[in-house]
Amino acid sequence: MKIDRRSFLSFLIGGAAGTTLSPLTWKLMDDSAIWTQMWPWTPVPEDGEASYVNSACSLCSGGCGITVRKIDDRAVKIEGMKEHPVNNGGLCLLGLSGLQLLYGPTRVRTPLKRVGKRGQGRWEKISWKDAVSEVSETLGELREKGQSHTAGIISGSDRGTVPRLFDRFLTVYGSPNLMRTSSIIDSYELTLHLMQGVQALPGFDFENADFILSFGSGIIDGWGSPVRMFRANSTWCNTGGKVIQIEPRLSNTAAKSDKWIPINPGTEASLALGIAHVIIKESLYDAGFINYYSEGFEDWKRFVLDEYGPDSVATVTGIDSTTIIALARSFARASKPLAICGRGQGTTPGSLNECTAVHALNALVGNINKKGGIFAVAEPDYINWPEIEMDDSAAAGMQKGRLDGAGSKKYPFSRHLLNRLPQAVNSGEKYPLKALFVAGANPLYTMSDSKAVKKAFDKVPFVVSFSSYMDETAQNADLILPNHAYLERYEDIPTPAGMPKPVIGLSRPVVEPQFNTKHTGDVIILLAKAMGGNIADAFAWNSYDECLKETLGYKWRVMVEKGFWSYPDIFVQTHEKSFDTVSGKFEFAPKETGSLKQFKPVNIEGDKTNYPLLLIPYDSIRLANGVVGDPPFVMKSVDDTVLKGTDVFIELNPKTAGEHGLREGQLAMLSTPVGKARVKVHLFDGIMPGLVALPRGLGHTAFDDYLAGKGINFNELIGPVEDSVSGLDAAWGIRVKLAKA
Amino acid sequence: MSALDNNAKEIAKDAGDEGVTTSSPEINQKEQDNRSAGPVILFFIFGLFASLILGWIIFPKLLYSKKKQPIDFNHVLHVAEVEDGCESCHFFREDGTYSGVPKLEQCIDCHEEIQGDSPDEIKFVEEYVSKGREVPWLIYSRQPDCVFFSHAAHVKVAGMDCVTCHGHIGESESLKIYEENRITGYSRDIWGKSIGGFKKNTWDRMKMDDCAECHQEKTANIERTDVKTPTNRLIDHLIDVVYPGTSKSGKGSSIQTERDACFVCHK
Amino acid sequence: MKHKKAKKYGMVIDLDKCTGCGSCMVACMAENNVPFRKDESDKLLSITWMRIYKLTNGKPFPNIDICYLPRPCMHCEGQHEGHSPCVTVCPAIATDYSIETGIVSQIYTRCFGCRYCMASCPYHARYFNWWDPVWPDGMEKYLSPNVSPRMRGVVEKCSFCFHRYQMAKEKAFMEGRRELKEDEYQTACTQACPAGAITFGDLNNPNHAVHRMVKPDLKHHGRPTNPNAFRLLERLGTNPKVYYLSSREWVRRAGDNYLEKEVKLKKTVHHG
Repeated sequence: MKIDRRSFLSFLIGGAAGTTLSPLTWKLMDDSAIWTQMWPWTPVPEDGEASYVNSACSLCSGGCGITVRKIDDRAVKIEGMKEHPVNNGGLCLLGLSGLQLLYGPTRVRTPLKRVGKRGQGRWEKISWKDAVSEVSETLGELREKGQSHTAGIISGSDRGTVPRLFDRFLTVYGSPNLMRTSSIIDSYELTLHLMQGVQALPGFDFENADFILSFGSGIIDGWGSPVRMFRANSTWCNTGGKVIQIEPRLSNTAAKSDKWIPINPGTEASLALGIAHVIIKESLYDAGFINYYSEGFEDWKRFVLDEYGPDSVATVTGIDSTTIIALARSFARASKPLAICGRGQGTTPGSLNECTAVHALNALVGNINKKGGIFAVAEPDYINWPEIEMDDSAAAGMQKGRLDGAGSKKYPFSRHLLNRLPQAVNSGEKYPLKALFVAGANPLYTMSDSKAVKKAFDKVPFVVSFSSYMDETAQNADLILPNHAYLERYEDIPTPAGMPKPVIGLSRPVVEPQFNTKHTGDVIILLAKAMGGNIADAFAWNSYDECLKETLGYKWRVMVEKGFWSYPDIFVQTHEKSFDTVSGKFEFAPKETGSLKQFKPVNIEGDKTNYPLLLIPYDSIRLANGVVGDPPFVMKSVDDTVLKGTDVFIELNPKTAGEHGLREGQLAMLSTPVGKARVKVHLFDGIMPGLVALPRGLGHTAFDDYLAGKGINFNELIGPVEDSVSGLDAAWGIRVKLAKA
Repeated sequence: MSALDNNAKEIAKDAGDEGVTTSSPEINQKEQDNRSAGPVILFFIFGLFASLILGWIIFPKLLYSKKKQPIDFNHVLHVAEVEDGCESCHFFREDGTYSGVPKLEQCIDCHEEIQGDSPDEIKFVEEYVSKGREVPWLIYSRQPDCVFFSHAAHVKVAGMDCVTCHGHIGESESLKIYEENRITGYSRDIWGKSIGGFKKNTWDRMKMDDCAECHQEKTANIERTDVKTPTNRLIDHLIDVVYPGTSKSGKGSSIQTERDACFVCHK
Repeated sequence: MKHKKAKKYGMVIDLDKCTGCGSCMVACMAENNVPFRKDESDKLLSITWMRIYKLTNGKPFPNIDICYLPRPCMHCEGQHEGHSPCVTVCPAIATDYSIETGIVSQIYTRCFGCRYCMASCPYHARYFNWWDPVWPDGMEKYLSPNVSPRMRGVVEKCSFCFHRYQMAKEKAFMEGRRELKEDEYQTACTQACPAGAITFGDLNNPNHAVHRMVKPDLKHHGRPTNPNAFRLLERLGTNPKVYYLSSREWVRRAGDNYLEKEVKLKKTVHHG
């Protein structure tokens, strides 16, 4: 039979008819429609049993309680823990995005040893055994040569078991060089030490205060324990508490305050003394407290009355005298006034003068260790380990004196002066630093004058990072011994910054360790055992978990159950027992700080002719600038007037911009005596003319592509300025010039 | 002569032929019919049958890949052992969610050690129980990610039984082959065993229409619980637009569809 | 009456308490599997179901003032109940209005991405997925199974965490209840807000905090009767279910933003 055209067509028509009557086309159409709705490359999250684990957040020193929602063995959401004394259900955006750090690409997945040049990013994976023995050998060699003091540790904190294990290790090994990253807490500690004679942390009873005089503290920009501060701020909304914010820029705190008083930057101490002047002159102070519990008031009074009259203070601060007088009156007449300091998030200690001046205001109104006032909170003494047996070489090492000069003749009261380390290493005047451990800190990013810090690091032949994430410091280390992420480990979280009563949080493993990481506590114990002798003897525990459990004792069970240990209510001390100074009273003019005449503003870097403007940093809760940087979610929340593409914006008053011929969005070159940066201009009426503000927390070179390479690190543009009494970094800004780019 | 010329000639010839046929159309037509009616119909039938065979028999075989469950499971045996029927293993959690296929944790109570001598049992204990690995069961009734289905609402509130949707799987002695749609990746039990979409039992298919069917039937007297497919809704909607008030729309919680709001079942 | 039992879930945001910290934004992203990209500084493309706007009073230094305004989806009721601007224009019925809860849904698999709804939404509350979502290797582990990840080519928006409503319902069913308590259904942003600035609940229920805070006039599309309360672009008649509280007059005026010389339109007849 011949197949002609017609038969063929007929076959096709038959085929078409058959196909129409068969499910083929209809089913294919349906299936492809379904396929387009459910593209296989869109992930489908696995369902399972939901459970909740209580733990503590340690991404900042805020100490919030968290409840992590899990689906089977995956953590899917972090929420604030209800009924927690710090945050009661709320949580900040960094804490909320913690899972992006846990599961994120920035985790260091296994111990790494540098292969290429420092910072080149070439690593080889090594086993934990090799890693630990490499460290112990290096330390052993140093010790044999009698150079144990040349080993040092930069730690994010000196409280809690892990920092204390480091401290113990370093002591029994023979080095005094454990350096804590600095903050306003350093200044407060020193102030409490000098004026009240106590070794304690400041605790602010914000919830009961009704008039907050804030000298630039970013109450709702991340100062203190951020979530607690947000809650306190809302409490004042309900109770009618007043907040007066004194700072040169309209920060969120200033915008939310009852009154924003712009001030010439760096003149806060003068204003505090000016307010004191008015209070004394008008006899508005708490005479009972002053007469019975204070010392040196007459000298101080004379000094304040002589030199800080409202008119002269008005000239210095740029605030008119009537405002100063009114402010002083309302502060003194408030029923529970409270003055606080620490600019922005309080990452820089600031000058001691300023802190003591502000603290003196609290003393004037008699709210020391009183409801609604400021408390000296002694660290709860829960870490009681057996005494260390020191051998001769350890004792010899400990005699050498700290490299950063803390506790030296020059700075006898300071405990940690990390800001002085780069200069000490670079000048090499004292002794070299031969091995450096970094844990819970990212000094290559967070320390000012990045270039000098980098140079100092380059001089240290052996740098070990304990970071869970590939941060700037880990990138420039020789060895990375990655810690478990905070959601994978047990750890005690000491009392959060500024809490008036001690609360210890318990960080708990929410998920199994995701990678080949090890608890830093365990690494210290392993290291000690590898070193042998006295060092091993000082670490009798088999594991960190055992150590922690033993340390916490009866508290452990409660902490596992509740997630935290809260000490009984505020220890309201009688003023008789509050002060441990020589006089047993509150010291208005501590003799140790020298004569009152030294009370002068901090001179910042740069001369006025070459650098006509002032550069100040600003902090935002949406820009993490501590140990970790912004995870992707938090980056998403950053406004497009802060960052656009990879360009960061400076804030400039339209008047200043006009003088420089700069418009909104225009590129400009910012130069300070320390560094240069290309920035974009954002016109903002909320900043004083003559100032330039740049956000902290950007300009990372490490972490992931969502964060790295965006904007400028403020620390590249500023260097530390030593406070003459404390030696702490007192820089609040730097002189700068601005030109069209 | 070039090929082009050849072509031109052919075309001319065709045109000529055409001219002839049109001159006496009737006779020519008849002749042609006589000459090829048989084969033409035959070929039509060939085509028809070939495509029907392709569509009804070959296509389904090509469309679905056949997968064996990692190990076999005897429901009958287990139902006899437990007290609460299906809910002994497929239970509700306290938060109202449904556990679905049991986890190893539940099996381990009895299967710590090998029970009996079936090869699947040995494999189960050796491969999964002792290694602590979950069995990667292929789930016949797994709905797409866009579907939210509340077992609690259907079982605890409406009092439905398992069989209505899942059929008599509880009475099976072994697990059937899992057929996966190569395009969508979903189980054949969702779209239905019959490739033509014919359905004898309520559990034969688990598509949106099937939910709708049951909701309309079983809950006709209850307000605001109707479900309709978006397509039907769209038609209703269009009717509403053109001839307002004439569509047979019921009373639903959704203003737009006048049925239940879409996200009651979709996420 | 059919509507009597119906809920009208709504939100009250106290702008005096809001600090602009961004917790609500991130809580929402974490709760709802919101994708992110390497550069999120183009805010027209950046998907943020909850977004915080920064308002200023426009005055020069030092009289300038700032206010932050978190903006979820307003779940507009429209002039006739359920005739929200976005819902009425959707050609695919991929978004609808539920009388039972007053929530405007978005069904991703139903949406074909025409973006009419985006054009009609006066609050920019809707976002289009211009790209497929990509989670860096391993990060997809934190995705919640309660919310489907979206695909390229569809629109998404705030759902008032409707899955939390579903979950709360399931739990209630287990306990033999049909009704939810006020605290059983709360959105992720409400829960996370450290300042306690967000309150969520049933506007129809006089016992719920949201009702007490704004005292909505239910006869007039829930217009607030608390003098400090306002809704965004009130005069458009979209009748949102998100209310704001502010003691500052300029903020309230900014909320109902209009041009100085604009003539106030005569109110059309109500269809209550």
